[in-house]
Amino acid sequence: MKVGTHLKPALLMVGLYLFLKFVMPLFTAPLPASLIMLYLMLTFSGIMIFMTLSGTSMESFLGPIFRFISGDGQDGTMKMARLAVLALFPLLVGWQTYTSTAPSTAPPAENRTVHPAPPGEFAAMSNPVPNTPENVMQGKGLYAAYCSPCHGLFDGKGPASRGFNPPPANFKDPTTIAMLQESYLFWRIKKGGVGLSVEGMPWKSAMPRWEFELKDEQIWKIILGEYDGAGQKPRTWE
Amino acid sequence: MKKYQFAVWCLWLAGGVICAVGVAVSGSAWAQESVSIRAMLTKSVPADDPTASAWNSVAASQFPMSPQVHWPTRIQEVTVKDVRVRGLHDGKQVAILLEYDDPTQDPDDAAAIEFMVGDKKAHFAHGQPMAEVEGGAVNIWFWKNKDAKALDMNAKGFGTLKVQDQQDLKGKGVYQDGKWKVVFSRAVTTGDANDTQFNPGEFINIAFAVWDGKKDPASGDLKEKGSQKAVSSWWYFRVDPQPDYTSYFYALLAIGLAAGFEFVVIRKLRKGPSA
Repeated sequence: MKVGTHLKPALLMVGLYLFLKFVMPLFTAPLPASLIMLYLMLTFSGIMIFMTLSGTSMESFLGPIFRFISGDGQDGTMKMARLAVLALFPLLVGWQTYTSTAPSTAPPAENRTVHPAPPGEFAAMSNPVPNTPENVMQGKGLYAAYCSPCHGLFDGKGPASRGFNPPPANFKDPTTIAMLQESYLFWRIKKGGVGLSVEGMPWKSAMPRWEFELKDEQIWKIILGEYDGAGQKPRTWE
Repeated sequence: MKKYQFAVWCLWLAGGVICAVGVAVSGSAWAQESVSIRAMLTKSVPADDPTASAWNSVAASQFPMSPQVHWPTRIQEVTVKDVRVRGLHDGKQVAILLEYDDPTQDPDDAAAIEFMVGDKKAHFAHGQPMAEVEGGAVNIWFWKNKDAKALDMNAKGFGTLKVQDQQDLKGKGVYQDGKWKVVFSRAVTTGDANDTQFNPGEFINIAFAVWDGKKDPASGDLKEKGSQKAVSSWWYFRVDPQPDYTSYFYALLAIGLAAGFEFVVIRKLRKGPSA
């Protein structure tokens, strides 16, 4: 028997697991456990197909495994290893069964839509305030007074932000105002968290309903200041 | 040769264990954030004793606090940055312990717990009316140091706070070493439609508020009062159900089946010509 017959597949499986678990998240989002499991299963199936292509390869791959399990002519450490594997397998199955059937102590999963569709009247508005340095400056002044306690320096990390869930939006993040139109921001600022539709879970948002305290013109100026300060451009109709 | 063979099997075993543990750990990572508080089942509830040793038997959940900025009059900075929360129940009484750091003990120090009441979702800020969704009311448990008691209240929007006619609540606070420990307790279920009812095993929303009753030395005004307070978002709370042992039974059954499977496979291998 060649050692590589089993060492190579074992190393491949372990290496693949370490790669999926620890290396992949450096380039992309962490992979879900179920996806890692799927990749490992596919690899295992591939190894099994490859190793059982011919009678010789099958014997050299499966023969030692079968002899190990059946315990033919074993002594010393091999005997101990076999007993350990035979004892561990049912325990692992039992543990898996327990974890999958144990009553859940986790709270219900939440499926919040981050950017639900605005009401029709807010869909096609354009900013009536010209994008001049003066208006941007005024907008930034209003932003500092009204928005920065939570939204901070356009990064969502203001001094008042820490207790809120969902956290205040980070405008520097390319998935927030950069992919939204100015009219969307106007709606969110004017109507606040309580103006969200049901899929936006309005009962959780701390965003004030600024229409009671700010004029429309001030809101449009804040929007100019917000895009400028965050270094983003509003999405436009292509 | 046998030495290598053993090494190969150890590798297989290690690979299997790493896979199983890795998959289990990454699967449970979602639940590790402090998003909920469970009232654990116990024999007797320390309903009016915030310092009872029974509280040490349950782990605290910690929730961050923010200044109340949703509605005027706002506040930009608050004293209390986190609350630590524990829960206990005995099937009849449920008690919730809030613990937080406060450098000074003041008569106007106060704390509150908020729940949704009824079948409609309520906004975390006093059940503020929502534009697109019909919201519900909230049930607020309010304790104040100088009153030395807790009040059972309801609200549906700012300015609508009302003390209930039927008071079902107990509350007691103890100040020690720069920390407030405040315990609220109530029957798990009451006959009052204005009260939140706790259905064991079911998660419901919970939020917290804290007022530092310190006075500004220059003006004599309270630093935090009314809507000027530290608040939390909605989190989750449940009264734990009676223990359920069926999963242990399933696990034992699975162990038996797996051992039986091994037995059959080994027998087959020993008998079979190819083995």
